[in-house]
Amino acid sequence: MDRKIKFDDFLIFDGAMGTMLQAYGMKAGELSERYNIDRPELIEKIHRSYLAVGADVITTNTFGANRFKLLDTGLSVEEVVTKGVEIARKAAGNRLVALDLGPLGQLMEPYGNLSFEAAYDAFKEQVRAGSSAGADLILIETMADVYEARAAILAAKENSDLPVICTMTFQADGRTLTGTDPMTMVNIVQNLGVDALGINCSLGPKEIIPLVQEILKYSKLPVIVQPNAGLPKVKGKETVFEIGPEEFGSYGRELAQMGVRILGGCCGTTPEHIRALKEALQGLRPVKIEPFRITAASSATKTVIFDGKPRIIGERLNPTGKKRLKEALKSRDFDYILREAVDQKDHGADLLDVNVGLPEIDEKAVMVRTIKEVQGIVNLPLQLDSVKPEVIEAGVRICNGRPIVNSVNGEAKVLETILPIVKKYGCLVVALTLDEKGIPETAEERLRIAERIINKAAEYGISKEDIIVDCLVLTASAQQKEVRETVKAVRLVKEKLGVKTLLGVSNVSYGLPARGILNRTFLAMTLAEGLDSAILNPLDEDMMATVKAFNVLWNYDQGSKEFIAAYSELKKQETVPHTSATGRDLKKIIIDGLREEAAAGVRELLKNHTGLEIVDNYLVPALDVVGERYERGEIFLPQLIQSAETVKRAFEVIKEDMLKNASADQTMEKGKIVLATVKGDVHDIGKNIVKILLENYGYKVYDLGKDVAIERIVETVQQEKVPLVGLSALMTTTVVNMEETINALRKSCPGCKVMVGGAVLNEEYARMIGADFYCEDAKEAVKTAERVFLK
Amino acid sequence: MNIEKNEVLRYLGYKDQVLDEGMERLIQECLAEIQTILKKNYVYQIFDIERQEDSIRFKGTDLAFQSRDLSRHLGKSDKCALMAATLGLEVDKRLAYYSRLNLTKGIVLDACATTAIEALCDEVEEEVRQEAEKAGYCLTSRYSPGYGDLSIYYQKDIITVLQAYSRLGLSLTEDYIMLPRKSVTAFIGWQREEVQADKCGSVDKCSGCDKKNCLYRKWGKRNG
Repeated sequence: MDRKIKFDDFLIFDGAMGTMLQAYGMKAGELSERYNIDRPELIEKIHRSYLAVGADVITTNTFGANRFKLLDTGLSVEEVVTKGVEIARKAAGNRLVALDLGPLGQLMEPYGNLSFEAAYDAFKEQVRAGSSAGADLILIETMADVYEARAAILAAKENSDLPVICTMTFQADGRTLTGTDPMTMVNIVQNLGVDALGINCSLGPKEIIPLVQEILKYSKLPVIVQPNAGLPKVKGKETVFEIGPEEFGSYGRELAQMGVRILGGCCGTTPEHIRALKEALQGLRPVKIEPFRITAASSATKTVIFDGKPRIIGERLNPTGKKRLKEALKSRDFDYILREAVDQKDHGADLLDVNVGLPEIDEKAVMVRTIKEVQGIVNLPLQLDSVKPEVIEAGVRICNGRPIVNSVNGEAKVLETILPIVKKYGCLVVALTLDEKGIPETAEERLRIAERIINKAAEYGISKEDIIVDCLVLTASAQQKEVRETVKAVRLVKEKLGVKTLLGVSNVSYGLPARGILNRTFLAMTLAEGLDSAILNPLDEDMMATVKAFNVLWNYDQGSKEFIAAYSELKKQETVPHTSATGRDLKKIIIDGLREEAAAGVRELLKNHTGLEIVDNYLVPALDVVGERYERGEIFLPQLIQSAETVKRAFEVIKEDMLKNASADQTMEKGKIVLATVKGDVHDIGKNIVKILLENYGYKVYDLGKDVAIERIVETVQQEKVPLVGLSALMTTTVVNMEETINALRKSCPGCKVMVGGAVLNEEYARMIGADFYCEDAKEAVKTAERVFLK
Repeated sequence: MNIEKNEVLRYLGYKDQVLDEGMERLIQECLAEIQTILKKNYVYQIFDIERQEDSIRFKGTDLAFQSRDLSRHLGKSDKCALMAATLGLEVDKRLAYYSRLNLTKGIVLDACATTAIEALCDEVEEEVRQEAEKAGYCLTSRYSPGYGDLSIYYQKDIITVLQAYSRLGLSLTEDYIMLPRKSVTAFIGWQREEVQADKCGSVDKCSGCDKKNCLYRKWGKRNG
């Protein structure tokens, strides 16, 4: 029996399962998957009613059959899924059975605490059970989070050979609940090896149409749509859907005429809706549409298309030649790293390059953590940069969105290791025009390498719009005559191969004075040849100005809007009071919480004082004043924190100065403290307040973040020999985890003291769970630290 | 949505300190920003209820809530609205952002968001009230899991029965924390009899909550 899915004609899916079960008396709040076990005959009957009206595919009653939703129900994933597939299989005959995978119902990192790996494992369990029970395809549906969809797709592809279809659900604002728009969804999902993609649930069929149009515009794959029977309306005790079968059918016809190939129904649809749908398609043939083929990278919520206008890839997250970043990576100072990411975005970066290659760190682990941290805060697409294939793979696996891999080159070995990763995870890739023999001198030779890479990539199923060629910049001081070859290569590669290009321009000036002049001139030359993107420092005003000017002169910035916005107000704003900061000024700056002025104040003082002197004579006294004013109620919390942030900025300048002067003066540190919001807890504002105050008072804080696994806390304490741990928990439900963390610390780190805080705690409760100290607020945490360290 | 600056200040523990120009501007900025990022996502459903001694059963469902305090709260009600509301994930994203890069703003925006979710609940309650009045009912005040002896574990049942995940994106972690963070579930009783005017001022709002050392409560206490 041939039960292979085919897309050469329309394919009709069934309608709702839940709606039908409710019609048969299922109560609100009941677990519909339980019916697979308790009432298999009813499920079979519903399947048969859809088959009877002509559905080509029926969907198993396993939407919520995952380990999270089945927790505490006494049911196992394996039995519910196996049973679900068996029932459908029995009813389907030679028609197709789709294993249904709905969302896990948990919010994923970084906003929730479901990790990518945990989501993957949950889906894997369903996929394994469903494929061995005889499903014909896998339907990943109603996804609201593209990151979760990605985990489900990977789980499906890695644990079965079945075709995979993925649909997401959108809201009235045209985005999914986690903020993904249709184009971004297509750009991410279609490259992960699925067989069809589309939209379900969401709104009514009418409201869905503009979203479907957007999907059809970009999708290289068959598109599926399964709308609700109208917008759900709650009427008293019931939810009703207002679109009847006839109307549903006519919308189905409209969707089919637009180019949709697979249709079915979601909430509120019945066999009558599917019958009407089937009838409405009579006489129609699928419409073949040619999608836009774009080169585009995505984060979960933002897609950047390489469409001519030069795209800026921020280069600052790369430790090469950057002492402060090296130090931050080594000490896992992610605040600094995030600040670098945000600064680049604020200065106009379209994407960020991420490179954490340092010999003395675990590059893979740090890459993964950096991606997670950056993606929690900045919504730009990423370019993952490493020479180690295992770092690239670990990175692209957990990276949300569609990243760029940096890079491959013409070496056979590199191509064979990296291209399969690029294909599997649906990434874009940077192709460097060099090979075993190095960088060729002439443009023509570089063109040949680019061509070779493109052909090789095609063998792996990677199309050329997913490749960005880097023609490589040589330095004018060493290879002056070859600089022109790069410019020429950009033109050639674009003309002959029709691919997008990229350059890391600032290399050109290495070893010469006034590098800025050379860089920006070279940039302008290459942009005029059609360079699509440049890796550069977005904080370099000269470079960004060149790009902005180019955009005007090349008609990308129409009406010069961006240019005018950037420059018409220029000189007026640049008049931040630049008083000659004397000592009293820095104290006042801190007491008044004037964050933006802290750096200038410290720099002025550094001319005549050492960093330590500034700390002792200015920062600490000012902090004391602020602390006293807070305790007397003269200022309130936001004002206290404003001053604390000002001190933090001041410290940052002092630290940079110390690194620069290689004094490596660690005496600034009074002691090491680990801070964490305990496992399960996601509230971290309180912890962040404690952190900044402790840092202000000179402690080195290892901030492990929120929802921190017990082992990670223990490990850090052991590795860094930390004498004091601060734990925070805000919920009664997570205090249990706090207690477990304390027990683990007692066992593995007997000398370590523990202070705790959080809304549900008090002195007595803290003692009960075994903490050494209870801190009512952040000031108390500082006092506790002083007690522990100054003893 | 009307978000009261005084409420925001209360959550921030404000007590007539001098607000310099910068702080005043920051608060205004946050009040404006929260309006642009919040979603008014909510759902409610009305159920007939049955009271047993220490529990409430929702007719036509599997739901039953074991709680003396809830039972007392709904003592005169024969119907109950079950509601869930959330400001959505964008608020969490923004709070995460500021809490790492501009903590002062993070704290102020957090207070604005707390005020906003309360305001949203007020709006939902008003909608429920209109529906109730048409049917000749008065409303009790809102009552949420975690108040009194009403276990926080009931969040799961409420979210399931209201399909709050698929409708609002409101999810529950394994530790029963609602996400997005600024979310509320509540019971609102429908009773025939006029409800005693709420005597509680803003500070007393906290008295039913088990976050005994909550920043906001603490300040309320100090101020009060």
